Amino acid sequence: MLIYSDNPDPTFIEPSNLQIAMATESIKYLAPDADNKAKTQVFPRPGQHTTGLVDWLTTIDHKKIGLMYGLTALFFLIIGGIEALLIRSQLWDHNMAVLTNREYNQMFTMHGTTMVFLVIMPLSAAFFNFIMPLQIGARDVAFPRMNALSLWCFVGGGIILNLSWFFTGGSPAIGWFGYAPLTDTRFAEVIGDMGPDFWIFSLQILGVASLLASFNFITTIINMRAPGMTMMRLPVFTWMTLIVSFLIILAFPAITIALVELMFDRTYGTNFYDFLEGGKPHLWQHLFWIFGHPEVYILILPAMGIVSEVIPVFSRKPLFGYGLIVFSGAIIGFMGFAVWSHHMFTTGMGVVATSAFAMLTMLIAIPTGVKIFNWIGTMWGGRIRFDTPMLFALGFITMFMIGGFTGIMHSSVPIDAQHQDSYFVVAHFHYVLIGGALFGLFCGFYFWLPKLTGRMMSEKVGKFVFTLMFLGFNLTFFPMHYLGMIGQPRRTHTYNEGHGFETWNQIATVGAFILGVGIAIGVLQFINSFFNKKLKPAGKNPWDARTLEWTLSSPVKEYNFARTPIIKARDQAWENNYGPKENHSEKEPLDDHGVHMPDRSWWPLITALGLLGLAIGMLFHRTIDPSGELVRDYTYPIIAGAVAILGMIMWALEGPGGYHLFPKEDEE
Amino acid sequence: MISIVRKFIHLPRFIIGALLLLAGSCSRIDHKQSALDPKGLVAQNQYDIFMLSVWITIFLFCAVGGCLLYVLWRYRAKTAEEAKEIPSQSHGNSMVETGLIVVSAIVLVILAVPTLQGIVLLNRVPDANDAESLEKLGLDRSQIDGAITVNVTGKRFFWVFEYPQYGIVTANELVFPASKAVRINLRTEDVIHSFWVPKLAGKMDLMPGQENFMWFIADQQKIMGESDAATSMPAVHDGTMRAKVFAKQKFTDEFEPVGGLFYGQCAEFCGNSHAYMSFRALAQTDEDFDSWVKRFQNAQNPNLQTKSYDPQSSYPKGSLVSFADPKLGSGANREFRSIRQTSPGQSPQLNPGAWEKAHSDDYEQGKQLFASLQCVQCHAVNRTGLGAKGPNLTLYGLRTSLAAGWMRNDEESLSKWLKNSNEIKFGNLMWNGEGVDDRHPLRNLENDDEKVNQLIAYLLGQS
Repeated sequence: MLIYSDNPDPTFIEPSNLQIAMATESIKYLAPDADNKAKTQVFPRPGQHTTGLVDWLTTIDHKKIGLMYGLTALFFLIIGGIEALLIRSQLWDHNMAVLTNREYNQMFTMHGTTMVFLVIMPLSAAFFNFIMPLQIGARDVAFPRMNALSLWCFVGGGIILNLSWFFTGGSPAIGWFGYAPLTDTRFAEVIGDMGPDFWIFSLQILGVASLLASFNFITTIINMRAPGMTMMRLPVFTWMTLIVSFLIILAFPAITIALVELMFDRTYGTNFYDFLEGGKPHLWQHLFWIFGHPEVYILILPAMGIVSEVIPVFSRKPLFGYGLIVFSGAIIGFMGFAVWSHHMFTTGMGVVATSAFAMLTMLIAIPTGVKIFNWIGTMWGGRIRFDTPMLFALGFITMFMIGGFTGIMHSSVPIDAQHQDSYFVVAHFHYVLIGGALFGLFCGFYFWLPKLTGRMMSEKVGKFVFTLMFLGFNLTFFPMHYLGMIGQPRRTHTYNEGHGFETWNQIATVGAFILGVGIAIGVLQFINSFFNKKLKPAGKNPWDARTLEWTLSSPVKEYNFARTPIIKARDQAWENNYGPKENHSEKEPLDDHGVHMPDRSWWPLITALGLLGLAIGMLFHRTIDPSGELVRDYTYPIIAGAVAILGMIMWALEGPGGYHLFPKEDEE
Repeated sequence: MISIVRKFIHLPRFIIGALLLLAGSCSRIDHKQSALDPKGLVAQNQYDIFMLSVWITIFLFCAVGGCLLYVLWRYRAKTAEEAKEIPSQSHGNSMVETGLIVVSAIVLVILAVPTLQGIVLLNRVPDANDAESLEKLGLDRSQIDGAITVNVTGKRFFWVFEYPQYGIVTANELVFPASKAVRINLRTEDVIHSFWVPKLAGKMDLMPGQENFMWFIADQQKIMGESDAATSMPAVHDGTMRAKVFAKQKFTDEFEPVGGLFYGQCAEFCGNSHAYMSFRALAQTDEDFDSWVKRFQNAQNPNLQTKSYDPQSSYPKGSLVSFADPKLGSGANREFRSIRQTSPGQSPQLNPGAWEKAHSDDYEQGKQLFASLQCVQCHAVNRTGLGAKGPNLTLYGLRTSLAAGWMRNDEESLSKWLKNSNEIKFGNLMWNGEGVDDRHPLRNLENDDEKVNQLIAYLLGQS
């Protein structure tokens, strides 16, 4: 056992002879040509040498899944961006006719829903998927096939939402938070409007995707950390993955219930939200925002995690107050469940409730402030480089600070009485969502894409993208603070002449196009880096970064780690390069049976298709027969549901399959 | 890399400079719906707390942002060699952390205290018996005791204003006394709306199944400014307000023509025409308000509607009767006013010299049309008509705006509206409501100038 050092890691237990024997036994079981491999005739697991479309459809590799999450999300970013530019064009001048009033209302509904559920959340999921296992020294996530199911459900949810354009009533025109009773069929402005139904089903499927992914990530982080990777040695990004996953699990049930009740109100005539029959519109708001507020922390914490990785790298110092940053992330997550009614300050909840939520909302500013102080503290005394990832991180800090300040303004109810539903709120949440979340995610792209592609992107283009985005973004949204204060309400498809809204709306529109161009160039740059052979190779650690993934080659090998690392310190890559010998990581022995890689699988895709079919079947299960009666035909939903269940059963039965790879010790 | 750094540092300066240039040209704060121009106590309180938060924010932005800029400048890697150096790897400083947390908490407390007071203020009318707080607010007891109540019902897409103390109903233009508190009860029978008149108070939502409450009181000093009440708060009841507003500016001018005219808008997405659901609030002196109420009470009193000519009665000078006028059409009645004392039997037909026509032919034709074109199905004139599908049009000629604050209430706009309201407010319920299709007479007015002018004469003649 020559690989052990003189000071073995006390957490590592030397394998006994029994264990070695068991390892050998397992080779027999898992060898590809073993007799007892479960043979499935239907959709057998594609093996090691699968390529092309089948490879991508059946992959269960977290890296490929993360990539697909990212590309799909970037596609929806473009779609949501076009919706935004249409909105801004309509508001260029008073009484414009770029969009009719209903089209405009559809546009802001789709823009909001797309950006929240189909862009920011999946982009975060993309990074969680790709980076987190690498940061903890794992070979994949805990449930790789379920990971694929999450991905395909996300794609399905995106498809359902955008199918709405093509059916009665078009896309939903209810706002991204769909307040009852506007969503009641009674108030539909197009007879038989199906938009809200598409919205409901798409959000439910997206909820399934998010929940499954969260179970996966939590299990991975708790169970699959490399030896020596204690919780307090986890990179902050992994911590944020964990906290966000818990937030998702605790928050999504609320919106699931809200949506189920809405679906029943619309489809089966129940009365959860119908005030004429004793229901309460307030109920929808409470349920939605108990989800909705933690949701916005779900949107921002991943970006904060990314920035917490990038700032130390480009200051060449460890994160200031690591423990407090982790703790404040957890506190923000926890307290996020205590503040939801600040979205409802104007709904007449009474003095006591209103005051309580106002105070709690102010409190949540404190842990958020802590993070900003700590990022500045990280840079203090460092050697700061201004590469593109750092520019985006700095952009994040400044823009999020501004968004946070306007948030504090809203937390004060008297101020909110003027701000609510005006463009001031629109300015606030775009500052935290674009200036915060999107800038943070772009920071992640510029930081980590070299690890994915093995190529460095052009700094010049990156800085140009940053400049356009920074300039365009501020030009678009800063004037909205003023517009809100001089009385422009939100969700209004036009405004009359004589309020003085024209000038700053025009400036905002120009800014929006600049922002759009910047984002488009950035997205093109990301895609280009996958194909452009003229870009410089990245090597293992082009940024001289600190965390474990930077000990691997770029692009990362299929099996991630040739040998499971034994972790000795936080910021392991940095310690390996610059730390004392006792902090250097070691490697677990691999014995002779190599790295066990799983086969791919069709069943996640098939199950997702079943769920998609179930949703579409439910959307169209009603017809009117010749005598005018409503007929409910559940044939298609049942078939699709059966496909989904069958998929899960076959999934359970298909057996582990797999093959072995035998990398050399340093081939990672 | 160094040149890029320089560019980055200069960038904010360039942006700020450009913004200031732009800001200087368009930074007025007294636009029609501006929350930065409070003219009422509650709005003033909200504005004051907002300004406090602005100062706090500026302080924090300069402190934290300044710190950030300092750090970026001081610790930037000036050369490639410096970029490779390893600085001291400190992990944190609990004293600094704790200190900053305490400072943040203190700053928030500074905002929290006025916030709590403001919450109470916007939810509850100050107690008339509480002399101390009345004095702090600068209010007089009579302003609370004499408060009026308005029941606001939000509909898609207009506002019903009912004054239960006086038994009158109007729509879209809320007339109120500037010196008294106004209690607003908010109700809706369809979707959620929100009542927002920024210069007087913040907003409160109209929630189905629940009655919400807010209140405001105008600041007469601010409304009048340098001038007097007659100039800044012209009377509504005799059409002076309307005349002044129309004379002083185009509808599309940016700043309100008279101090007492306030603009509001629905602030909760309520459907296709949410953007079109605005309203106005008109401040009046106590006397003018009382006159206005009186006029409405008379107009909406069923006992005071013009009765048919009674051959048995004699009428004093100036009486109004309804009598047939064959010239208008068979069976058509019109209003006649006696110009002298009449004796029984001296009808307008037999003694035309004793009677004058109270209104023009166009007016009377318009009145017929109002019934025959089915306008009465949705709009109440000269009755309270609560629950009607459309806005109440009693004394419509006194109003300053049309279509829920969307256009000026003059002949030109009214003509456009009647001919094709869909072009102005796409999807509106007058054009697209239940039972209205292409055969409905309302949709066939587009080329019928004569009918439209008659309707206009009638509607604007309600004054």
